Amino acid sequence: MFNTLGVVVEIAQALLALAVAPLLVGLIRWVKARLQNRRGAPVWQPYAELRKLFGKDTIVSSNASWIFRAAPFVVFGSTVVVALLVPVFVTPLPFNQVADLFALVYLLLLGTFALALGGLDPGSAFGGMGASREMTIASLSEPAIALAMLSLALGAGSTNLGEIAARTIAHPTDALSPGHILAFAALFIVMLAETGRLPVDNPATHLELTMIHEAMVLEYSGPALALVEWASWLKLTVFLTLAANLFVPWGLATSLAAGAIAMAVAATVAKLVVLAIGLAVFETRVAKLRLFRVPELLAVSFVLGLLAVTSSFSLR
Amino acid sequence: MDTLLLWALAGPFAISAALAAAGVGDHRVVGWIGAVGRAIAVAAAAGFWMRAMGGAWPAPDANGLFRVDALSALVAGCVALVGAMSMTLGPGGLWAEGDSPAARRTFQAYGNLFVLAMLLAVTVNNVALMWVAVEATTITSALLVPLHRSKASVEASWKYLLIGSVGIALAFAGTVLAYFDLVTITGQRQAPATWALLMHAAPTLDPGLLRLAFVFLLVGYGTKAGLAPMHTWLPDAHSEAPAPLSAMMSGVLLAVAQYAILRWKAVVDLSPGGAAFTSQVLLAVGLLSVAVGALSLVRQQSYKRLLAYSSVEHSGLVCLGLAFGPAGVFASVLHMMNHALAKSASFLLSGRILSRYGTTDVSGVTGLARTMPATGALFAVGVLALMGLPPFGLFVSEFLLFRAGFLSGHIWETAAALALAGIGFVGLASHAMGMLCGAGPAGVEVGERGRWALTPIVACALALIALGLMLPQFVGSLIGRIVEGMAA
Amino acid sequence: MDKLFSEVAVLGASGVLLCAILLVWRHHIDGYITAFKWQSNVLAALTAAVAYFGDDRDLYWVAALMVAVKGVAIPRLLTRLAARVGQHRESSPLVSTAASLVICGLLILLAYTAARPLQAMAAAPTHGGIPLAIGLMFVSLFVIVSSKKAISQVIGFLMLENAIALLAVLATYGVPLVVELGVFLDALMGFLVMQIVLYDIHDTFNTLDVDALSRLKH
Repeated sequence: MFNTLGVVVEIAQALLALAVAPLLVGLIRWVKARLQNRRGAPVWQPYAELRKLFGKDTIVSSNASWIFRAAPFVVFGSTVVVALLVPVFVTPLPFNQVADLFALVYLLLLGTFALALGGLDPGSAFGGMGASREMTIASLSEPAIALAMLSLALGAGSTNLGEIAARTIAHPTDALSPGHILAFAALFIVMLAETGRLPVDNPATHLELTMIHEAMVLEYSGPALALVEWASWLKLTVFLTLAANLFVPWGLATSLAAGAIAMAVAATVAKLVVLAIGLAVFETRVAKLRLFRVPELLAVSFVLGLLAVTSSFSLR
Repeated sequence: MDTLLLWALAGPFAISAALAAAGVGDHRVVGWIGAVGRAIAVAAAAGFWMRAMGGAWPAPDANGLFRVDALSALVAGCVALVGAMSMTLGPGGLWAEGDSPAARRTFQAYGNLFVLAMLLAVTVNNVALMWVAVEATTITSALLVPLHRSKASVEASWKYLLIGSVGIALAFAGTVLAYFDLVTITGQRQAPATWALLMHAAPTLDPGLLRLAFVFLLVGYGTKAGLAPMHTWLPDAHSEAPAPLSAMMSGVLLAVAQYAILRWKAVVDLSPGGAAFTSQVLLAVGLLSVAVGALSLVRQQSYKRLLAYSSVEHSGLVCLGLAFGPAGVFASVLHMMNHALAKSASFLLSGRILSRYGTTDVSGVTGLARTMPATGALFAVGVLALMGLPPFGLFVSEFLLFRAGFLSGHIWETAAALALAGIGFVGLASHAMGMLCGAGPAGVEVGERGRWALTPIVACALALIALGLMLPQFVGSLIGRIVEGMAA
Repeated sequence: MDKLFSEVAVLGASGVLLCAILLVWRHHIDGYITAFKWQSNVLAALTAAVAYFGDDRDLYWVAALMVAVKGVAIPRLLTRLAARVGQHRESSPLVSTAASLVICGLLILLAYTAARPLQAMAAAPTHGGIPLAIGLMFVSLFVIVSSKKAISQVIGFLMLENAIALLAVLATYGVPLVVELGVFLDALMGFLVMQIVLYDIHDTFNTLDVDALSRLKH
């Protein structure tokens, strides 16, 4: 379906995801605030933050090299590419041939890697600390996410995102299969680790010693910081979209008809809102894990992934 | 007639347990009632023996609840004999004094239930119910191990309970697997898993699954039989338990577990390729047990642990014999019987030694021949028998066993077992010599007390000598029937 | 219908196994007891499901017994024991948590290999869950071996019994009712005896630490 309409829709889809990401994060923060009996900032606060940051000056440490300056662009760029590949509203799409699960995972990892390098580069203590913690978590969550993806791929017979979604649409009872549910559980835990949410990392903390993601970006300011923050919000949106559209894919448009796309937009937005609220409630309930307990959590995710693969394999 | 025999066999033990649990009556009266009842039970066991020589009862294909064929009769006979002896000599029996009423009641209540469970295990026709009975033996005996409360005995009882229960659970897994095989092949979902049905269906069952089941069963029942490497509970439990309980556990509980292994082996052997597999596995496990038992005998410091490791060694020998074909099976069953007699007698004597000397250390016990002449003499008989010397029965059974091994082609394994048995011989001999000879330590009363209590043990010793000098007709033909029954 | 049965069976079996993994992860005795309680309840629900799909009335009784004995009675007794003995934390176990979880994963893989002859034979729709039952058996054995407190060993043993019950339900739709009753009786009696011995250990040693139970060697 390599036609201009398809390409336009795909780019529009990515841009829409980019636009919606701050809103999603604002919603999560607002729900958490309400649950904690506070009034909380309005839902569009993140947009205000971005506008403020884009207007400010950039200050770069004299110890920083080109890595520090390039990292925000790499992160932002890789996350936008991922947004292009994920089936947000429509499947299949023109760029589908490269929309491979493993490509997705490693693109996201590229962003993490760039950010970690950017944290290390200025030579500050907190940057190094955050970078090392982040890489530990990333390396431990990698096998877990690979297994969860593998179990999905086994079920669909291919690692192509579009095909996985299409397969689940075609066979509804597959969504209840143990492989699916276990893969969802594994993916959920990995999502918490990769996007820096509780119980792995508290995104709202001001205490540097408890930071993981925030410590890495401590040195950034102005537009660079805006790009980094936006990229992390987009990453969260991408993960939530993956969770929604791979495991509960109904509502995805399978053709480029206007009506189908409109319904798809509505369905996806609804699913994202539900997931965001669910995530907010979950974060309010759990406490942050001590750092050396995070590997245990990721080991649980690994075992869940393993179970998912073996279940999918044996039930084929 | 047959039902009557069954009631006569099981009844006395049940009644004794009930009386003890209810706590009625003067303990001496209860003791006499129990002793008389147990004598009846032994007679009933002899009755079964006679009938089994004629043919299995009920008819082999019947799916009744109970079935006493030759093997059941033999093991039941041993259980009844040793059980009667131990319960009579133990707390609450005829001759034991110096135990608190609570200890007496506990011992009689649970001990009789223990014997009952063992009898049930060997006479019931259903493999799963046999499992239930064997699990019941673990439960009833675990409460008795810490009868004389101490840190060591509580630790021993915990190890016994945990390892025994885990082993038994694995045996159940094996039973489920075999049942699954049976049900899938025969297609009947509610098939009663009787031995006859299993042996009849065995040639058609899936060999791979049956072998997997046998591994689980061997590990499970092997734990109860004291086979290495699952034997770790045995030295602790058998040495810390009160002597009559040790006698029962070492003598006949091991035999009941070996009975289970024997029965399952008979089933698996009938499936294609099964006999070779069971031989290999039994050979490995048996040899390992003999090695562990014999080598540990050398550096023991407690005479009760000495006897316990000797049990491991002999259990290994029985297991080994099962791998040597029909002649080996004959030798193994004979060995099972001989060992039951010798080991129970030795343990009961060790109880007397403990109460006199107050220590379980081999170094603390010297001059037995002088302090307790009768006990010393009988203990010497027991140890000589366990070492496998003529003119005692164990010599004959070990000889037959090794002969079967060489004749069936397992030259190296038999030679290794022979060498290990030799090491065990040396270990036992050196410790026993130390215990018997020399002068008694100061402060130990000299002279035999309570000679009448030695009567059953003397009977055991005479039986061992009889079995060693010749193989009586009623024993030989019964075991012959057992070997035939395994091939049918 | 068969496919639904199959999925329900595998889902139930996975749930039972997941409760075991939850147990390996937590460090509190109360957490262990909760995990065991959930596991027994999920197993009872699965038994009831097999009774429904497999048309076997007896299994309903088995499911009810399981809830009564293993879902209610035993956890309550365990909680009382833990409170009496005052043990609420499992001291750092023999193997670290992360390593234990990875070992459990590997054990499950091993179970899949071991269960191949079974799966090849099984024609029933429930055969997908059989490797999970064997995996649960291995995981329970691992829990028993790596526990440092006697009460955790007991819970591991109870899980082993659950594993074999799961195997029986999935492979042969349960064993004959008489045998099930005997097995339940044995399980309950066994647990009561274990409880008595645990109280004994606590009275004698003042701790339930398994390391204290190592005076008898060789």
